Amino acid sequence: MFAAATAASSIFPATEIRVALAGNPNCGKTSLFNALTGARQHVANYPGVTVERRSGSCDIDDRSVSVIDLPGTYSLSSYSPEERVAQDELTATPDVVVMVADSTQLQRNLVLLAQIMQTGANPVLCLNMADEARAAGQKIDLPLMEKLLGFPVVETVGHRAQGVADLKRAIARAAARPAGRSRLVLGELMEQALAAIRPLLPARAEKIFASDWMAARLLAGDREYGKRVQSMPGGQAALDEAKRQRERIEARAGVDIAVFVTERYFGFVDGLLREVRTQASTADARQLTDRIDAVLVHRIFGLPIFALVMYAIFWLTFKVGEVPMNWIDSGVHFLSSQVANLWPAGSTSLLRSLLVDGIIGGVGGVVVFLPNIVLLFLGLAFLEDTGYMARAAFLTDRLMHRFGLHGKSFIPMLSGFGCSVPGIMATRTLENHRDRLVTMLVLPLMSCGARLTIWMLIIPAFFPPAWRAPMLWFVYAVGIILALVLALILRKTLLRGDDAPFVMELPPYRLPTLRSVPIKMAERAGLYLRKAGTTILGISILLWAATAFPKPTSYRVDAEIAAGRIVVAATGHAPSQLTEQQVAARRAAENLEHSVAGRIGHTLEPVFRPLGFDWKIVTAMMGAFAAKEIFVAQMGIVYSIADTDKGTAGLRAVLARDYSPLVALSMMLFLLVGTPCMATVVVTRRESGKWGYALLQLGGLTGIAYGLSALVFQVGRLFV
Amino acid sequence: MAAVAHNTPDAEISSSLEDYLETIYLLVQEQGFARVKDVARARDVKAASVSIALRRLAELALVRYERREYIALTPSGEQAGRRVFSRHRLLTRFFEEVLSMPSEAAGEQACAMEHSLTDDAMDRMVRFFEFLGTCPSVVESFRQCPMVQDSKRGPHMGQLPHSCVVCMKKKESPSMSLGDVKPGQSAVVTKINAVGALRQRLLDMGVLPDTVIEIERVGLGGDPFWVRCQGARLALRRSEANSIMVRPAD
Repeated sequence: MFAAATAASSIFPATEIRVALAGNPNCGKTSLFNALTGARQHVANYPGVTVERRSGSCDIDDRSVSVIDLPGTYSLSSYSPEERVAQDELTATPDVVVMVADSTQLQRNLVLLAQIMQTGANPVLCLNMADEARAAGQKIDLPLMEKLLGFPVVETVGHRAQGVADLKRAIARAAARPAGRSRLVLGELMEQALAAIRPLLPARAEKIFASDWMAARLLAGDREYGKRVQSMPGGQAALDEAKRQRERIEARAGVDIAVFVTERYFGFVDGLLREVRTQASTADARQLTDRIDAVLVHRIFGLPIFALVMYAIFWLTFKVGEVPMNWIDSGVHFLSSQVANLWPAGSTSLLRSLLVDGIIGGVGGVVVFLPNIVLLFLGLAFLEDTGYMARAAFLTDRLMHRFGLHGKSFIPMLSGFGCSVPGIMATRTLENHRDRLVTMLVLPLMSCGARLTIWMLIIPAFFPPAWRAPMLWFVYAVGIILALVLALILRKTLLRGDDAPFVMELPPYRLPTLRSVPIKMAERAGLYLRKAGTTILGISILLWAATAFPKPTSYRVDAEIAAGRIVVAATGHAPSQLTEQQVAARRAAENLEHSVAGRIGHTLEPVFRPLGFDWKIVTAMMGAFAAKEIFVAQMGIVYSIADTDKGTAGLRAVLARDYSPLVALSMMLFLLVGTPCMATVVVTRRESGKWGYALLQLGGLTGIAYGLSALVFQVGRLFV
Repeated sequence: MAAVAHNTPDAEISSSLEDYLETIYLLVQEQGFARVKDVARARDVKAASVSIALRRLAELALVRYERREYIALTPSGEQAGRRVFSRHRLLTRFFEEVLSMPSEAAGEQACAMEHSLTDDAMDRMVRFFEFLGTCPSVVESFRQCPMVQDSKRGPHMGQLPHSCVVCMKKKESPSMSLGDVKPGQSAVVTKINAVGALRQRLLDMGVLPDTVIEIERVGLGGDPFWVRCQGARLALRRSEANSIMVRPAD
């Protein structure tokens, strides 16, 4: 029953070895995966569900090995999408399953091993974080453990890539021989029950359906598998026997089956550890963590510290990011002037305009914010890798829960600060569909990295330096507060229902692994740049075309010069006296006004007048629906036509000239709350499964944004 | 136990005959033989009375006695003697060791009681005593129970509460949940009332019956709970903690 697949691979030793990495959350699995595969990895999504599928490859003795990093799970029971995905991957019969265990938490970690052993997999046990366990005084008799379990056991320190060579050898060793009979000892009562169910399991191609694991799931009354087995020929007999065995055990053991089965697993681990652990931990490995927690989750100081941490991350993004931003900015500037110089000065070549204004200007205006995005993700990765993220969920759950959200909504919402799209996808960690929907619908209110590009443009343009950080903080705070209020309203109206479990592990603090951070950064930067290179490039060209065509046949400014109402002079101060550049700017402005984008902007201008917007802002807002960062590109194009000065600083100057800070505030609020970008709407549709929710999100948020901006602008006008 | 699980002729013998049988059995055990005068001395009666009793025991085929000095037990006599003696010893130990009576008084009470019990009642008592032997903590908690051992108050008769202060706590435990435990205190899980995904999650995390859970801290406003379980730290909401039934840790 186990041998077929693996025996085949030993006959053809040149074939690829398929390895799956399984383990609890926080066991250091991902850093071990990074150490194994290095840069040779790929992140995608599982089809249908929204769990990340991380795969990579490496070589072991000239054999290529494909590695899949399964989502971290505590067990294989199919209550969460992660657990289901892990089960399905194990069902896909990898040649070797590497069970990664946190050596400092063996008692609970190895329960998953017991379940994996039941699936009939060919396991390798990897005792990760061995250095921490050793430092705490724990000693494990590895040869004995290997002998008792019947498969290779190795020790590793994932984040320092220690023991990776051993692990590779163990994988090769495991792949070279067929999986042995599982040596799981679960006690007489349980084993009798499994033995009674096993022969009745329907014969299927997938070996999991013939495994002890399947028998155990049926015994435990797993509904999902129950349904699948029931639909198979002969499945009902297995279900009936499982029920009989369940009743027998419950009568004999005096506890319900779920408790009984889980206790068997824990019992097996307990027995195993009693044999192989020659010395238990003498020091409490959590001592340092406990001391840090005494401060970081302090009853009174916990929340202020949390607020400070968030503030520090935004400061890092805003302040430190300025330096590389300036480099990129001058680089883009240099490039566009070099390209522009290929044509004679004053040329009106369409290609030059497309290259300089459309492509370089549009994409360059977005790429310039790459440092911000990378730094923000660096901050979030730091929170996640240190273990502070779970504390943040602990600190915020009461508040979040009060607004009908879940502590775990916090993490997707926090990811929403990077980009709404991965944030919405991260809602998959929420087990309850309703919790997911609420989180998803209000998530675009978390000011994303793309909108950060807008704040970066507007805030310095309208507010003095001392006001900039508080202003940014204010924008984020408005988004958060609105999200919470809307979540509560949704939970009380459209999405009423019970809460999903909150129960969450608080892992020990660990230093972030320096190896995984660059990989994570490169991943995010790559995603962002790809977006800039594809969607944004395309839209930039489209918008450039929309702003360039159709061209007017004649210009009003020329008519006025011809009529003598305007005089062209060297210095232009009076309205009737304009320089050559100013005349060109007038012409360009008329050009834009005449174009498709300008016409739409003009048409919609009356609608947005109560918000203080003119047609230029409305025109740029249309770009913001395509992607929030397009707003900046669009404004850049709009004003590069009306002004010869280029770059962010130049754009800021003209914005400050044309609008009041009150309009800027109204504009920011509208961009914060309204029109989630196209990608967000599409992803919401995919994640919620219904266009209705996506349209509710789009329409609802835009309506609220309109009301809020109008209110702020109209009330503000009374005071300013 | 085997000694008392017996039937037929034994049922007919009187308590005084049982005493004789026991005495003879003991004498044989101690010195290897029993004479009429030994029996008379041990039971503090006249030799003539002994002879009458011996004749009746011989009729029941329990002893071989043919007017000679020495008395021998038949196999069934020996069995009956052993049975009577073990009853006696068991009751003596009960009065002495469990009820803490002086050994002399314990012996007297045993003699008074041993004949009045039926085989069935004795059999059940033996089982109970055996249970006490294998489970010394019961005797221990009986000795330590403040209500039962309060000698000044005398017997409670009908007024004894259903359980003592210590047991009351244990008895109350099914209705006490983790949500009632104060920060800094520990409790032992007795039952998990949660269902579905929450139940499975708690089990996966090692929240199982007989596991100790310590509340390390609670969030601002009393929610969520920060607990220590199986060496790990878990955060759970008050509503979730309420679904975990506990008893106070020892």
